[in-house]
Amino acid sequence: MNKRHDGGGARSAAASAKKDRAAKRNQSPFSAMHTGPGRALTAVYGVFALSATARAGYQVIREFDVAPVAYSLSVIAAVIYIVATISLVIGNRISHRIAIASCLIEFAGVIVVGVLSFTHPEDFAKPSVWSSFGSGYGFIPLILPLIGLWWLSLVGRRIRTA
Amino acid sequence: MSAPVTVLDEQPTKLGRVFTVFTIVLYAVSAVLAIWSIVETIRNRPAGTLLLGASALLLLLLIVQLVLSIATFGSTHDVDPLLYFGYVITAILVIALAGFWAFAELSRWGPGVLAAAGLTVIVMIERLDQIWQ
Repeated sequence: MNKRHDGGGARSAAASAKKDRAAKRNQSPFSAMHTGPGRALTAVYGVFALSATARAGYQVIREFDVAPVAYSLSVIAAVIYIVATISLVIGNRISHRIAIASCLIEFAGVIVVGVLSFTHPEDFAKPSVWSSFGSGYGFIPLILPLIGLWWLSLVGRRIRTA
Repeated sequence: MSAPVTVLDEQPTKLGRVFTVFTIVLYAVSAVLAIWSIVETIRNRPAGTLLLGASALLLLLLIVQLVLSIATFGSTHDVDPLLYFGYVITAILVIALAGFWAFAELSRWGPGVLAAAGLTVIVMIERLDQIWQ
């Protein structure tokens, strides 16, 4: 930790970071899922898990009858974000597969709910995370699973070639 | 408005001004944190003590916000407390966890985590402000 400077020590800090990551990879190769760029990805997933859960919880407790379809989908989305976050944090062979599966479900969910919110607007009187392709969240729900799949396949490929 | 109401009005406006200033401070600190983190990510630096200190400051300010709003929530609003405090507590959790997560990462992606958290908190402060009004 003594290498933690703001200025001149950055290079040595970066070097020690590289060593750190190499050491981690030796412990369990799949822990690379949540280091480096994967850490930023995991953080974004964590933010979505937390905020989707908080929002879905509020919607179900306070006004479930207003839009039961949209709010049930909010709960499902929240659960999938939690599963993805936990799999990224665990970082082993099995959780790598689970993370890929949850990214695929997520992407399918965004597409299906996005289409449904235009074809059946009466069921989506209130917004859920995935309605209108996640436009209420800056389309991050649409892009995030793609970035996730890209990163997870990169990690998988690195492990297979190593 | 009748005379007794104006007497009662004086307290909320003073309080309102305190809240407005505090909201601006929150916006400023989280914006500085987000921009600074993005710059550090681009410069390929790990999260330094100063940057982690800035996120700790934001965490502290959010806790102050929580205490302030608990103290003044009572009679001033008909806002749903579950909605409002749900947002405040989520924002506190996001910054606290992001701080730990960034501290553990000794590469450019430590600030990357803080950038994501900072941008999230800006949006959440905006929502809090909307809910409060």
